Amino acid sequence: MGVEIVINKAACEGHGLCELTAPQVYGLDEEGQAVLKQPVNESNQAAAEAGARVCPVAAIEIRR
Amino acid sequence: MPHILIVGGSIAAATAAGTLRADGWDGAITILGEEEHPPYSRVPLSKGVIAGLLPVAATELPPLPGDVEVRTGQRAVALHGELRAVELADGSRVPYDGLVISTGASARRLAGAGQQGELVVRTLEDAEAIAARVGEARTAIIVGAGFLGMEVASTLVRLGLDVTVVDRDPPLQRLLGTYLAGVLVAAAVESGLRVLIAPDGVALAGNPVSGVSTREHGELSADLVVSAVGDLPNVEWLRTSGLPVQGGVVIDSRCAVAPDIVAAGDVTVQELVPGVFRRSPHWTSAVNQGRVAARTLLHAESASPTASYFWTEQFGCDVKLVGELPFDGEPRVVDGDVTKRSALLHWPRDDDFGAAASLNYRLPIVKLKALAAGAAAPAGGHP
Repeated sequence: MGVEIVINKAACEGHGLCELTAPQVYGLDEEGQAVLKQPVNESNQAAAEAGARVCPVAAIEIRR
Repeated sequence: MPHILIVGGSIAAATAAGTLRADGWDGAITILGEEEHPPYSRVPLSKGVIAGLLPVAATELPPLPGDVEVRTGQRAVALHGELRAVELADGSRVPYDGLVISTGASARRLAGAGQQGELVVRTLEDAEAIAARVGEARTAIIVGAGFLGMEVASTLVRLGLDVTVVDRDPPLQRLLGTYLAGVLVAAAVESGLRVLIAPDGVALAGNPVSGVSTREHGELSADLVVSAVGDLPNVEWLRTSGLPVQGGVVIDSRCAVAPDIVAAGDVTVQELVPGVFRRSPHWTSAVNQGRVAARTLLHAESASPTASYFWTEQFGCDVKLVGELPFDGEPRVVDGDVTKRSALLHWPRDDDFGAAASLNYRLPIVKLKALAAGAAAPAGGHP
């Protein structure tokens, strides 16, 4: 069961909670925008989803 | 199969469950939530749902892993630690091997006995009850000028209502200190907010509630009266548990409460110095504590403390804050111009625990944290 993680750049406010929760998957770029640090696969899917859930502005979408 | 039980069903609970799975826990996980909804985000409630400016769907969280059992409408009434079981309102008992306490908090209310119609902003239903009435409302009184009260006021002003906030203390001052509170209140007043200070307190008037009563300003009425006077940790169910409760359930820096019991979110307090317990009822704390609590159950590892971070959006001011509140005294303006309401501010201290704030100023949070801790002025930020 694969998933695709989509970060809505317009919605992201750079709170950084995705990175706090799942630093192996998410980082913040120089502008403070959330970015995916690596592709999402079976081994890091649970972390990617946990990081998406904590976004206070719902900027990270999980597409199944 | 070993079973981790999470009592409480909001963001701390969702984060704990997600972290358990992300860290490889493959035992059973159950979330018991008192509300009738699966975990949702309270963030959009004050910022838009109360005014119909954001749809209810804005509160939805990405779904939890399919193998996390979520039981809604389940209120815990007691913890039997010696039996490793939580008792529910219907008398049934749910056993656990590991327990996460994340029962959150409830809105504090001002209504007297039998007084109907008090509006608060805590749950989705609370927000919908306000949204159902804003269409007919021209005037509003918000009791309480903390973060929540001011955000509610901002949203209602944006909708075109004539809004008054009333509080015993000047708005935001106890939270943010005189300087930053002054900046935000100036923006609020410029937007049309009326601010009343009533040092002797505020009572709700009418039944159903139709206004407020104060010694300093007499009786005031409005179409909509909303109480935003803080929240109270949901710890009644722990009364006979023997766990340490000081306002909220007492956690250490690893979110541990007792062997195999951790806690996270609005229900918790931490002992800052002996005898002084402090809550940190913010989204960021709930997320951070949910993550740390889950790891403590799994690995008994020590958590690295992270700097306190939170934010508020009101009256055109987007403020991000790092450090322990309140921020005392005049800050150093690192960049920007406070009179233009776009600035980067620093309250230095001799140790590593200074504070920093960005006001309508784009800067990665890691850099804001570094600035608070005394790093040189960061590059790359901009209004």
